Amino acid sequence: MTTTEPATSIRDLSDDEFETTYRADRFTASVIANRLKYVVEHMSTAFLREAFSPIIRDWYDFACTISGPPEHDYRMAVVSNSLTVFLGSMPDAVRNAVEEYGPENLAPGDVLICNDPNRGGRHVNDVLFTRPVFVDGRIVAFVNICAHQLDMGGTVPGGFSATKANTYENGLVIPPVLMWSGDAPVRSTFSMIFDNSRFGAMLLPDFKSMHQQLQLGERLVHENIDRYGLDAVLGTLRYTCDTSADRMRDALAAVPDGDYHGAATLDADGLDDSISYTVHVTLRKRGEEIEADLSGTSAQARTCINCGITDAKTALGVALTMLLDPEIPFTSGTWRHVDLVAPAGTLVTAMPPEGAPMMFWEASGTLLAAVFDALNPVLGERAVGGDYGSTNTHNASGLRADGSFWTSATQCGGEHGPWGATRDGDGDSYTVLFNLNNLDPATETIEHDSPVVVLRKEHAIDTGGAGRHRGGAANLKDSLWLTDAEQYLSPFRTKEPSGVGANGGRPGPNGAMWIFPGVDGRGPDALVATTDDVYAGSTPVAGVLDPRSKALDPEHGTYHHFGGQKAWRTTAGSVLRCLTNGGGGWGAPFERDPRKVLADVRDEYVSVEGAARDYGVVIVGDPHFDPENLRIDEAATAALRGPA
Amino acid sequence: MTQAPTQEREPVEGTCPRCGAPELRRYPVNSEGGWFEVVKCQRCLCSVSREHGPRLGPIQLLSDLL
Repeated sequence: MTTTEPATSIRDLSDDEFETTYRADRFTASVIANRLKYVVEHMSTAFLREAFSPIIRDWYDFACTISGPPEHDYRMAVVSNSLTVFLGSMPDAVRNAVEEYGPENLAPGDVLICNDPNRGGRHVNDVLFTRPVFVDGRIVAFVNICAHQLDMGGTVPGGFSATKANTYENGLVIPPVLMWSGDAPVRSTFSMIFDNSRFGAMLLPDFKSMHQQLQLGERLVHENIDRYGLDAVLGTLRYTCDTSADRMRDALAAVPDGDYHGAATLDADGLDDSISYTVHVTLRKRGEEIEADLSGTSAQARTCINCGITDAKTALGVALTMLLDPEIPFTSGTWRHVDLVAPAGTLVTAMPPEGAPMMFWEASGTLLAAVFDALNPVLGERAVGGDYGSTNTHNASGLRADGSFWTSATQCGGEHGPWGATRDGDGDSYTVLFNLNNLDPATETIEHDSPVVVLRKEHAIDTGGAGRHRGGAANLKDSLWLTDAEQYLSPFRTKEPSGVGANGGRPGPNGAMWIFPGVDGRGPDALVATTDDVYAGSTPVAGVLDPRSKALDPEHGTYHHFGGQKAWRTTAGSVLRCLTNGGGGWGAPFERDPRKVLADVRDEYVSVEGAARDYGVVIVGDPHFDPENLRIDEAATAALRGPA
Repeated sequence: MTQAPTQEREPVEGTCPRCGAPELRRYPVNSEGGWFEVVKCQRCLCSVSREHGPRLGPIQLLSDLL
């Protein structure tokens, strides 16, 4: 909390003061903190191993945390190495759920659940499971899992769509209710979920596994209490949060005082393309404190692309951590010196029932980009290039020849893509958005679970933003669908570059989506080429494209709206192509070491033409058929680059 | 298109105990611990007072009226 008096730094405490404050010496507090970290990682590993749902098993779409007791204000002290959009919202989600239910109504063996985005953030598929840890009749901590359920009802199987209009179309909203009472399942809660959602047979074993992991977490917390004493464990929970607060305060202090404005824009909602949505943030930095005001941000969207306040708060915390000090532990203390000023009813502070959040991370990720936009000019060399901006989420369903129903969620769009470059090096080329942290589903698993063949999953050439350090390359993915299908596609950042350049680097280019229709139930005889001439026969889904060739044309092209069809109906044999945005470059491109440009040409991150155009480096040879004999033409390069 | 929402900041009499500026304002913020109703100096961001706000901020539950 920001106050009038500066707080004493942990490092300035004497050993006696530390022990008095945290009821353990420094060494013991560090040991306990690491042992508690082991608790959440053990819970996570066990759940990952046992999960049936592909979005858990293959995407790691869950997180585990330990929170303090009510008298500690439920502070989230320990987090698993997983999804940041979950971790950032879980401090408020746990507190809001337990306070509404009443901590006095909880008993040993209870598991409280809640999935309401307005009470705890995210979307209805993400269900929070909270288990109190009791000692001598008193709650001393909570162990928590938040996990994405493959379906939570609503109008779209699997849920991932930007087209749903309100809370009621979005899916089942669960207030804080018990799912286990004294470790006995509460039948009415299970029935409420199974009677209102699809794929219950897959959800049930996952629910049972989460119950097991919460029991495991409780048991391991008790082991620490038995070994080190309750006071030392409770002190350590406060210590970990105070550490985050201390380090964020130090990081903020290093930013020059001032008012900094940033903005970033989402292309459209799922209704039509008449409105773009811009997130504005004004960061006011004074001393060791910062205030982020979202005033001026577009009003909430007409369909479910919004997010709630806790998601906005998460994005702010992630952005500040990434830009100022990525080593800051992500706990409740991250926000102690950060105030979010959040007028109600914006894209990132949506209000029920109309302001439905389904694609919430797209909205909160846009706030993250706006924070980068505000601070990058101030940070100079510490600035960070932008990422691919949107998961370009794909969600499809259909019937197999035997009549059985299939669904594929978040596997065959542009869910994975590049990061921007930093002062430390090139951007990674195949990862997830800054505000996520997941796995990449294996191709074999995707093809096993749905009637689809993944044809391409590759880096696209000349798509990393040029810079002394190159942005990560965009990802190009082609998937061949073997049955008729309904495809929901949600790319949100194709109008303006999301992969912004940093410290003189250039932005990465934007991506797009196309469908190449099947003919008589058959796919193409060969891979669809990646040259511009192939798109004339396609059905464009998204992107700024030339009206005739339907190839990318960011300067003169026409925007194509992903929601032009609520569901894109495709026939068997159709190929879906998703090209993500490229990552932003860092530093002046002509300062890039020519040997790195040579390596990029050899690895086909950069073409021979791109090397000359973007980096002023002349490469001689054939990168495709004779890559090991490529060489730099030193004289021609010197002529292109000019005097040093 | 609906107008972009803006957070109002209510003027409060007095001066900042840290920098002396007569620029105190009252408004809601979200920070560690959730919602707070704060009075802050607009020049140096000193918090003169911070009181817990409603649990869900601007969102009110009908069931709270039970």
